[in-house]
Amino acid sequence: MNWRNILALMHVERKSGRLLRGVKLTRYRESGFFAYWPYWVGLAFGVGAGLLAGLIYSKTILTEADVMLLFREGTVSIFLTLPTLVLVYNLVFTMLQQIQRSGIKASSQVPYWLPVTWEEYTLASILANLLGFPLASIIFIVSTIMTFSAFSSQLLFASITSFAVLGAAFMASALTEILRILQVRFIGAVYKTSGRAAVWVRFFGSLFFFLAFYIIYLYVTSGGAITFIQTIKSTQTTAWFIPFVWLGMMLYSFTSGLLIQGSVFLVLSILFLAGLFFLAALLNKQFGLYEPPAIKISRGAYVPRTGFLGKLGFTATEAALIRKDLRAFTRRRELMSVFIIPIVLILVQVMQSTGSTMATPSAQVFVYLAASTFLLPSTVTAISLGNFMIGEEGQAIWRIYASPISAKTLVKSKYFFIIFFSVIVLAITGALAFIVYNPSLRATIVAYIEALFLICALGAISLSNGIKGADFTEIPRPRMIRLSWSLINLGICLMASVAILAPFFPFALSAMLPETVPNLTLEAFLNPLLALAISAIIAVILTGIFYQIAIRNARDLLTKTEI
Amino acid sequence: MLTANSAVAVELKGVVKRYHELVAVNKLNLSINVGEIFGLLGPNGSGKSTTLKMMLGLVKPDEGSITVLGKDVQKDAVAVKQQVGYVPESPRLYEFLTGIEYLDFIGDIYGISTEEKKNRITEYLRALQLEGREGDMISSYSEGMKQKIALISAFLHRPRLLILDEPLNALDPRSARIVKEVLHKLKTQGVTTIMSTHVLEIAQAICDRIGIMYQGKLLALGNMNELRQMAKLPDSGLEDIFLNLTGSADLKAVVEELLK
Ligand SMILES: Nc1ncnc2c1ncn2[C@@H]1O[C@H](COP(=O)(O)OP(=O)(O)O)[C@@H](O)[C@H]1O
Ligand SMILES: [Mg+2]
Repeated sequence: MNWRNILALMHVERKSGRLLRGVKLTRYRESGFFAYWPYWVGLAFGVGAGLLAGLIYSKTILTEADVMLLFREGTVSIFLTLPTLVLVYNLVFTMLQQIQRSGIKASSQVPYWLPVTWEEYTLASILANLLGFPLASIIFIVSTIMTFSAFSSQLLFASITSFAVLGAAFMASALTEILRILQVRFIGAVYKTSGRAAVWVRFFGSLFFFLAFYIIYLYVTSGGAITFIQTIKSTQTTAWFIPFVWLGMMLYSFTSGLLIQGSVFLVLSILFLAGLFFLAALLNKQFGLYEPPAIKISRGAYVPRTGFLGKLGFTATEAALIRKDLRAFTRRRELMSVFIIPIVLILVQVMQSTGSTMATPSAQVFVYLAASTFLLPSTVTAISLGNFMIGEEGQAIWRIYASPISAKTLVKSKYFFIIFFSVIVLAITGALAFIVYNPSLRATIVAYIEALFLICALGAISLSNGIKGADFTEIPRPRMIRLSWSLINLGICLMASVAILAPFFPFALSAMLPETVPNLTLEAFLNPLLALAISAIIAVILTGIFYQIAIRNARDLLTKTEI
Repeated sequence: MLTANSAVAVELKGVVKRYHELVAVNKLNLSINVGEIFGLLGPNGSGKSTTLKMMLGLVKPDEGSITVLGKDVQKDAVAVKQQVGYVPESPRLYEFLTGIEYLDFIGDIYGISTEEKKNRITEYLRALQLEGREGDMISSYSEGMKQKIALISAFLHRPRLLILDEPLNALDPRSARIVKEVLHKLKTQGVTTIMSTHVLEIAQAICDRIGIMYQGKLLALGNMNELRQMAKLPDSGLEDIFLNLTGSADLKAVVEELLK
């Protein structure tokens, strides 16, 4: 193994994050300190947290001996769970990263013409996946426990834990690498057998994959951090035969004074790590250059279709743009995640309402759950679609610039797409909410209408900001919108939703606290219809304003930006 | 529409484009006539692509003015673009569409009628030997096939001006020949073509006039005879003229140095 090759490959990966839209640099200057800022921040926070905990600890040590003992025991049990904790969240993070990058061939393509062995490539890939947030968080954890243990004189134990944490992160990344290669190979085989249905197999397959993944993730983390740590602690020892907890088992054995058992787990962990790595390298050697066969979507003579969009009154250009986006969102894996968000939101709701802590939810909670099932998923869909609609064009945006497409046409077709999909989501989630929570007919109608208002207004707001903050970078992952603009957008959307829903706050209050605000006295001075009308006016004004802003932003985009 | 007296398709006056301290295009004056096939030549980084992009408003000049088909590209953007077919250097297509879906999209964007769209797409696909692969996703196409799709989408709406950046990149000899013939045929119909190219034989064979760019400036401009005179190389081909004008005539020494 040539370490310089590995470092070089990792450097390329790190530097691929440099491309930013609108930054035209003839020379790239980079200060070493700022390039590594996440790690410095992780280190600073880690040392800070360690110092804080250490100072509290050294205060109690002088006063109360039993508190101190509790403190030490607590630390040990947290240390024990750290490897598994790090494993789980790094697995989640690296998998999500892979999904986001799946649309880009270039970033995952193996530079097989370079004099690099598969082992070197695989190691570089596993390590590079940990750069950025995972490494920063590991630095945070390690620096916290090392600083703290200097106070509690657990330095040896803390160092072993630190190494275990590093090993766990490597395990997670290696597993992601293995799953990635297998997935590509598996998908290829599926395409081959499913023929023309491949697009839909892929669409539903991906949705299913995301969902399964999220359900596991939600299930594991649903109880919050403390329960999660307790779960790990209790299941770790019973699931000792699963190699992924061997690192945790090693720590457990050492703290229990079982030195031989601990050493066995240490050796086993190292063997397992090596095994994962060699399996990944072997799979890369076998399938690293494999490319799934082409998906054949149509065969035979070409028959242009007019389609139903034309009948709805859209011009040919508008219909073409909408149809293209429809295909983008059903065929590009990194865009399919938009459909997952509403499903996950529903899942969270259902998990909360069926949670053992609330066997029979109180009326207040009930109203809240019902309302948010109506309002939340479709609104979130509108916001995320609005944010992505322009940025998803990516490097192919030149096609829009070079075509005779006006700002109005662009905004109209993109806006329609947002509303269209959000309304579908609303129809489904609304029906679900009606079945599950069974609200009164009047409440149902109001909820539907209010959700529609939210979709229209927030869709326009998000589209205007999505155009303003569009980022066409595709490597190492499609960015679609700059972070700053998606945050600004979230703030504006929050204010707008409060404004639109405000006329109904008294009603919500009266439903949740019937004693304080009786419904009858309320309706005496605020008719629900009046509230609906006020809400409608606010929504229409907001939609109109931001639709115009979107057109203005699109005009700027089409005339001012360069490609 | 063009007025009768303006036989100029594209006019650049004192155009400057800077990228920070780097001057990509430097005070360029250029006038291209209607019905002309104009070739833009020059070493890598001499500003050809930037010039072509500015003609379509994809890049904004820092100084100077550009008129395309009698209109200002910035002010009348949609009207100009409706009349222009453009192929960028290594075009990025919508890879998630099939070839036919992409061309269908282009047809709709330019407002071609259904019947016309069908005929033209089928003909072009046959001519450029893409039949059988038109239903596959573009992500599985080779570079040459993508280039063909990009070329077809520039020709599809019968534009009056073609702006082609290295159009013959990655094309096989047969397809390159077809594109050449198509350009010739279009010329007889009054279509103007502006192309940049590295392939000097092609420039020599089909371009009416050739402009040689170097470091953002136009070094020489004219037909083959005029260029020969300018370079004081009466009997030479374009390659010698090109090397002479761009100051890279003494290549032997460079090669010796490389392989020392
Ligand atoms: N977006 C950009 N940012 C910075 N420099 C650029 C950009 N686009 C082009 N350049 C520079 O402008 C010069 C001309 O580029 P280009 O027009 O692409 O050359 P050509 O097509 O003749 O090879 C080159 O030096 C190139 O590096
Ligand atoms: Mg170029």
